[in-house]
Amino acid sequence: MALAAPGQLNTTESPAWGSRSVDCFEKLEQIGEGTYGQVYMAREIRTGEIVALKRIRMDNEREGFPITAIREIKILKKLHHENVIKLKEIVTSPDGNKYKGGIYMVFEYMDHDLTGLADRPGMRFSVAQIKCYMRQLLTGLHYCHVNQVLHRDIKGSNLLIDNEGNLKLADFGLARSFSNDHNGNLTNRVITLWYRPPELLLGTTKYGPAVDMWSVGCIFAELLHGKPIFPGKDEASQPEQLSKIFELCGAPDENNWPGVSKIPWYNNFKPTRPIKRRLRDVFRHFDRNALELLEKMLTLDPSQRISAKDALDAEYFWIDPLPCDPKSLPKYESSHEFQTKKKRQQQRQQDEAAKRQKIQHQQQQQHSRLPPPMQQQMRPGPPAVPPMHGGGQPQLVAAGGGGPGHHYGKPRGGPSAGSSRYPQGGGNPSAGYNHHPNRGGGGGPYPPPPQGYGRGGAGGGGGTSGYGVGPPNYSQGGGGRGGAMGGNRGQQYNNNNTWQ
Amino acid sequence: MLAISVTDDGQNRLPEQSEQDPSTPRVLSILSVVLERLVNRNEILSLSSGGGVPARLGKNLEAFHGVRPPAITIAKYLDRIYKYTNCSPACFVVGYVYIDRLVHRHPGSLVVRLNVHRLLVTSIMVAAKILDDVHYNNAFYARVGGVTNAELNRLEVEFLFMLDFELTVTSRVFESYCLHLEREMILWNGTTTLKIERRIHTTNTIEDIAEIPIEEDMESFSSTLSNGNGGLT
Repeated sequence: MALAAPGQLNTTESPAWGSRSVDCFEKLEQIGEGTYGQVYMAREIRTGEIVALKRIRMDNEREGFPITAIREIKILKKLHHENVIKLKEIVTSPDGNKYKGGIYMVFEYMDHDLTGLADRPGMRFSVAQIKCYMRQLLTGLHYCHVNQVLHRDIKGSNLLIDNEGNLKLADFGLARSFSNDHNGNLTNRVITLWYRPPELLLGTTKYGPAVDMWSVGCIFAELLHGKPIFPGKDEASQPEQLSKIFELCGAPDENNWPGVSKIPWYNNFKPTRPIKRRLRDVFRHFDRNALELLEKMLTLDPSQRISAKDALDAEYFWIDPLPCDPKSLPKYESSHEFQTKKKRQQQRQQDEAAKRQKIQHQQQQQHSRLPPPMQQQMRPGPPAVPPMHGGGQPQLVAAGGGGPGHHYGKPRGGPSAGSSRYPQGGGNPSAGYNHHPNRGGGGGPYPPPPQGYGRGGAGGGGGTSGYGVGPPNYSQGGGGRGGAMGGNRGQQYNNNNTWQ
Repeated sequence: MLAISVTDDGQNRLPEQSEQDPSTPRVLSILSVVLERLVNRNEILSLSSGGGVPARLGKNLEAFHGVRPPAITIAKYLDRIYKYTNCSPACFVVGYVYIDRLVHRHPGSLVVRLNVHRLLVTSIMVAAKILDDVHYNNAFYARVGGVTNAELNRLEVEFLFMLDFELTVTSRVFESYCLHLEREMILWNGTTTLKIERRIHTTNTIEDIAEIPIEEDMESFSSTLSNGNGGLT
């Protein structure tokens, strides 16, 4: 626990968590909804401060208090940094109903997330802006790593941004403490597939901060490139994800990654032919210093991958154009508005309709052009995780078995039937923590996956317009953002469902 | 509210296990000795205060009280938890840290025979949730611990709030508790230096875990526990 500095008493310390009632807040608007419960934008009545209230879902009796929430609370309790989301307190329902789920986490309010912001129609980040976000991301992550916390789910939608230009790491539901001396084995079922590093895909259970740095590299490249660089198809497809990585970063062997052949699944997944690293070639249009840094982040061997601290010292951040002051960034329109709400209602109605249809077993006939219902797609293929809630099966925490991905707010996407992440016109709400039910545009009329299955992946209808292999797919292609790559992006939301 | 049917033969019905099992982590025997002594001391304390146990205990740990002390010994109870949940030995140390923290946060609360079992199953389960990437759910712990799923969930929430979610155990704190427990042991038997296992369990690969015949184990539990006689009361 933090000690007060000499001469300074902790007199302002807030009351014990859980001692205050949720009635201290006035709920303004529901800004998120998912299988884990709801997120509200709310105002603290006494101070007028705007916060986000995330309800902790307690209705899965077999699981008890959600593991993701326990870990998130525990970890956020000890992290205090301007680039890490602040958990202010925990409040309960006034009727003493905390055992039934009247427990809320109170977060500072943030307006957007990086993915949502990037998806705004016509949005283009300036170089100084990208540097500004990247530096904040690395600063926050460095702080986590120094405090021996692995985030394990770094991705754009978990990077929240407020209208002061501040970026904060959120969603510590998969995070955990690591210790250099414990050397314990950890689960490799963490990090959303597109951002998952090769060592995890190869099945290692001994890993450290470098896993987060790979994800940072993916985000960095995505910001520069305008779209995700490793958009694997779905969770069951680790080999595909690996081959995408190999095509860009080369294939691992004992030379470039000593010890790789001893990683559990190396022999199953190793490429049949040598593959050269082509990252520099594919991204040759990037700024030299950016490419330099990206090279070091997307290094296959985790022990050689750059650390957050060293990345902050990279030339990239110290030459013109310098990272801009967050406060100088443009303010983007708030996302929590009528339009959003309405869209959500529509989505809900669609979901309801789909549910009814499902009951009648008519779905496939009626939507033959859409992907098959969720259940059929969610069977994890080996080596995926089995369903978690069967009988006495041990729960694999990080694979989302517990269901609720305790995200800062966002439901992890209603499954979108492969629709565009870049709706043409018509304000896709950029999301803060929330509006993702609407993302992916019209979305398939499929209800969210049943809780506990862990595998998302309905949809899939969208063309995985293969980030194939050759440079052409990487080419900057004139401004990049727009409906053109919608098919690709739709996929991402399927992946988001992974943790639902 | 905790009045579950009282039983006298619960102990006989619980699966026995050999005390000399070499695979049993040493932390279990150390912890049971330490807790036995703590409980004995507290029982005397509460009796000598004249007010009887409840008065002395205050309201703090009320949720964890059974109507009468469970027949199963602390040692057997710990063995049982370890045997069936296969949690890391470190979870027992961390669970002990939590209980210690709880008592210090709420002066006037005493660990006694009436509450020690529930405190243990709750604290070890929470520790496993924090430490082990692979662990059993509350429903499983409830069956192992002889309480209902609903009750264990309530105890968990109570426990977390009483701890104010102060769940971080740094390696320094962890180590100091290990040393403390080891010293207690030396004081107790004067001879052997038993060293506590520090390790966090290997999280088996999924494939491995799928091979554990959990279902059969569960069956044997439910037959002893679900008939209402074997549980804690």
